[in-house]
Amino acid sequence: MSYVPIGPIHPGLKEPLRIKLKTEGERVVDAEVDLGYFYRGAEQLARGKPWQKVAYLAERVCGICSDAHPHTLIEGLERIVDCEPPLRAQFSRVIMGELNRIHSHLIANAIWFLAVEHETLGIYNLNTREKVMDLLEMISGNRVLYSWNIVGGVRMDFKESHLKKILDNLAEVESEVYRYRKMFKTGALLGLRSKDIGKMTKEEAIEVRAVGPTARGSGIKFDWRTKHPTYVDHFDFKPIWRDECDNYARVMMRFDEILESIKIVKKAVDELPDGPIRKECEIPRGSVDYRYEAPRGELAYIFETAKHGIIKEITIRTPTIMNLEACVRYMFKDSPTIADAIAIYQTIDPCIACTERVVIVDENGNRQDFRGVHTVLRNLKPFKSKKKDR
Amino acid sequence: MIKEFIRKRSIHVCLVCTGGCNGCDIEVAALLSQRYDLEQYGIYYHNNPRESDALLVTGTVAKQWQEKLVEFYNKVPEPKAVVAIGACALSGGIFQQESDKVGAPVSDVIPVDAEVPGCPPRPAEIAIAVLKYVPPTLASYRRKI
Repeated sequence: MSYVPIGPIHPGLKEPLRIKLKTEGERVVDAEVDLGYFYRGAEQLARGKPWQKVAYLAERVCGICSDAHPHTLIEGLERIVDCEPPLRAQFSRVIMGELNRIHSHLIANAIWFLAVEHETLGIYNLNTREKVMDLLEMISGNRVLYSWNIVGGVRMDFKESHLKKILDNLAEVESEVYRYRKMFKTGALLGLRSKDIGKMTKEEAIEVRAVGPTARGSGIKFDWRTKHPTYVDHFDFKPIWRDECDNYARVMMRFDEILESIKIVKKAVDELPDGPIRKECEIPRGSVDYRYEAPRGELAYIFETAKHGIIKEITIRTPTIMNLEACVRYMFKDSPTIADAIAIYQTIDPCIACTERVVIVDENGNRQDFRGVHTVLRNLKPFKSKKKDR
Repeated sequence: MIKEFIRKRSIHVCLVCTGGCNGCDIEVAALLSQRYDLEQYGIYYHNNPRESDALLVTGTVAKQWQEKLVEFYNKVPEPKAVVAIGACALSGGIFQQESDKVGAPVSDVIPVDAEVPGCPPRPAEIAIAVLKYVPPTLASYRRKI
């Protein structure tokens, strides 16, 4: 029995995190994760600030899903006032959200391929991602942080040339992703590194509350986009899921989701309605619990506002905290080698910057700098959609 | 002599993120793609401090890092250079509102040779900063002896 510490800075990791593996020979029997290298206190900074400031702060909780965070916050604020943005703004949000998802999934797969030392596919994926980043930069003016959403609509409008460029670039991305998918599916060495490694059954995934592609790779057929009003009313969205429950399923899931996202963006661009992009809204006092499917899974913003949209309490729950638990408790179990343990860790697409906001617990179990979640869960408003039975 | 000459053309870098938003880190990762092709310029990206010539530091220096970053800096063999990337590393950025949470800027903790502003800076800017300021820093160490 020996212990192998990995991190906080390690060639296999991109973000600071300490994993302590308990091994018998090369086989991993137990694991422990030590977080805390990224704590900035975003939630405490948000308290007492107007929503205009908090939107920028939410964007900087995570730089990779930097559309999902403000998207969730702002749609949550719209639930309080019951203000539905114009249709063109809703479609713009869908386009931006899905482009963000495509680039996030591409970098996640790229880092997985680099983790198993398949540099060809890793670099190919990164190169394809640049085409999506070009689109994001062209639309919003920045490569990483977009500041796209605002209460009542979006900040900028598309031009005709933008829409044409989106379709052109996505056609290239689609053909390339089909190619990489085939390379991954038929590659013999990739199969050895991915199939039957990092198993997590459906029951285990439900027990640890895994979310997002990690859960859908284990056969859970759930996606928050199936409950999002715009997707329900205008896009015929079906969640993608696989039942292999291993590394292969999770990497393949991301490729499939990229293709599905490309379909959604194409449909949104084709059917983009004319009209205004923004509507006036005043944020009153209220509280809300709003969830959205970020690239990594369910993202929850639970918050309470005072008059004029000042944020009184806010709790952000990000997907990686659950997926990390799933990874440590079930996926590392019986990992054949230590190299595979790093590959398994990368398949959950960890985003430590998202995760580290939360609680400081001292030895006696006292919580510091954290005011409870449950005080906020009052008078919730249900989502509204034109279709019934949701 | 020859070592000094070669070192300027093969810079090994180590990325340390000390608690930002990950935006700068993915821009460094984007440098690996064919479009920027970092290795063509003689920069090799690996996260091993004991073999590296230059540290790329991103992020507000979070509480856990304030002592560890110094230890980490000491592990890098001489001569060494430090490039601070992004608004968070230069000033604390948006997180520098409650002063006890973050220890930014990085230059308070370890000596910094080059600074790349931006939230986040573009990948090309990072590559230019490394290519322009790291070789002179490595060379000037030689002259001191």
